[in-house]
Amino acid sequence: MSLLCQNLSVRYGQRQALTDLSVSIIPGEIVCLIGPNGSGKSTALRSLAGLTRPHAGRVQLDGRPMDQWRRRELAKRLSFLPQAPIAPDELSVEDLARQGRYSHVGLFRNHSPEDAHAVAWALDATGTSSFAQRGLRELSGGERQRAWIAAALAQEAGILLLDEPTSFLDIGHQVEVLELICTLSRERGVTVILAIHDINQAMMVGDRILLLEGGRLRFDGRAQDLAGSGLIESAFNVRGAFVKLGDGTVPHFDIDLRRTPTGQ
Amino acid sequence: MTLIRNEWRLLVLGPTLLLIVLAAIFLGVVNMPPAEVLNVLLGYGSMDASLIIGDIRMPRVLTGVLAGIHFALAGLLLQTITRNPLADPSIMGVSQGATLAVTIFLFLTVYMFNNDPNILYRLPVQWLPLVGCVGGGAAGAGVYFLAFRHGLSPLRVTLCGIAVGAVLHAAAMGVISGWGTARLEIVMQWLSGSLYARSWDHVLFLVPFTLLGLVALPFMTRPIGLLRFEEDVARSFGLAYRRQFSLVLLLACGLAASAAGAVGPLIFVGLVVPHLARFIAGPRTSLIMPMTIILGAGLVTLGDLIGRLVGGPEEIPIGVVTAIGGAPVLLALLRRTVRG
Repeated sequence: MSLLCQNLSVRYGQRQALTDLSVSIIPGEIVCLIGPNGSGKSTALRSLAGLTRPHAGRVQLDGRPMDQWRRRELAKRLSFLPQAPIAPDELSVEDLARQGRYSHVGLFRNHSPEDAHAVAWALDATGTSSFAQRGLRELSGGERQRAWIAAALAQEAGILLLDEPTSFLDIGHQVEVLELICTLSRERGVTVILAIHDINQAMMVGDRILLLEGGRLRFDGRAQDLAGSGLIESAFNVRGAFVKLGDGTVPHFDIDLRRTPTGQ
Repeated sequence: MTLIRNEWRLLVLGPTLLLIVLAAIFLGVVNMPPAEVLNVLLGYGSMDASLIIGDIRMPRVLTGVLAGIHFALAGLLLQTITRNPLADPSIMGVSQGATLAVTIFLFLTVYMFNNDPNILYRLPVQWLPLVGCVGGGAAGAGVYFLAFRHGLSPLRVTLCGIAVGAVLHAAAMGVISGWGTARLEIVMQWLSGSLYARSWDHVLFLVPFTLLGLVALPFMTRPIGLLRFEEDVARSFGLAYRRQFSLVLLLACGLAASAAGAVGPLIFVGLVVPHLARFIAGPRTSLIMPMTIILGAGLVTLGDLIGRLVGGPEEIPIGVVTAIGGAPVLLALLRRTVRG
């Protein structure tokens, strides 16, 4: 399954959200989208999911432009999880995960053992089985986030687009989600494209890093190559240094926090 | 435990509806012994009794049942897809459109050619359902196209609906206020929602819409479930959001407009019944739709029966009864929900 965009530009009214983005996603790889707030990460993800009509350029899946795909067919291949999605309150975790099967069951057919299996797997993979019957309203932010990831997984799509899947999660659950992403990619061959704020986490899980700034692509390549480029410092307007913590590991970005000394 | 209790509630609601319908046929202003009503139902009744039961009470009750189902379902659908708990057919401008169409129609057919304002003319009442339905449908379509130009989000639809509804309502009031006294009566009666003098024609007018709705709904439950999510999520799950949103809107408007044409804008049924159904169904969300249908039919029939029995020959219009009875129900539900 090949996903690519060419010379993609997106506008919201007068505001240019994305300018001339060309990216070709290789099946099975983990792509991390990083960039400051408002740099176009969410817009890029929504465009790749076929949810935003581009102002110019095009997005293609398997050689077909996005607007020629039926949503149901698209949903079997590609699943998108927006930032902080909202669900009807009274749904349980399992109800939510079951919605992910919509594209498979259609309008008439009942849920088959295959669907039940996919839902059970999604709940299991996200560690949500133990509270599958609880209402979304009763969950903590982290639990709810994982329930949503379960719904996206239940879709069993070959491409997973996640907009900041680790926000709201404590460090333990962040690591769980990142490990889940790695497992999906390595064991199931799922392509994962995620927007993420933590640069170090991006560099650890990403086979490929895309750095956006002001709606333009500033960097597209491996984490090791990003380290020496000085682009992180300029894009985020921070000072810091990449340090090697061990052999064979990706460099770690160490932020130089200018702290006003106290008591002076 | 709760599951058992909820099943139990559904099992009780069905027979209760039947009892209400029977009561509405057996009881009325003309005091008729139950044995005689039974005779009519079995086909042995006298001429007079057959006329009262067969041509007056039964079509009236059935019209109420169908209209109740229409308003309640339309309210449920609109509340669900606009994610607005206060939605009812008036947010699509349907009630107001029907009102304006009926007032203009009466104005043109009666007032334009008769200049004495104190004479009550034979009114072309047989056209009112169609006129009201077309008016309501046109208003709904207008709101739809206005909202469509702005992206058809639930918020857009709601805002356009309220704006269009307000304009139509004001226009209808303008037409009415320029009217002679004696002619106000029929339009006021229609406006307050009434089942008075509803015939088999009204039943036949409503039945196609009801059947269409009841046949279409089972195929729409899954899309409707997904329409409760925000657009991006629903589309990502594989829903053709705009098409399904439009289909549900169309169905809701058709149900509401036909009912508004037949019995007038019965406010509050579309608003209250879905809440009541949700409350009774509890966590069993699959029961909400059947409960809405039963409750919509039952409450309108009951309201009309109360209006007939309390008001006597003058009768209290069903719209007044549902509004007076519906408000406390809504407030009570609100209290329970807030506490829960």
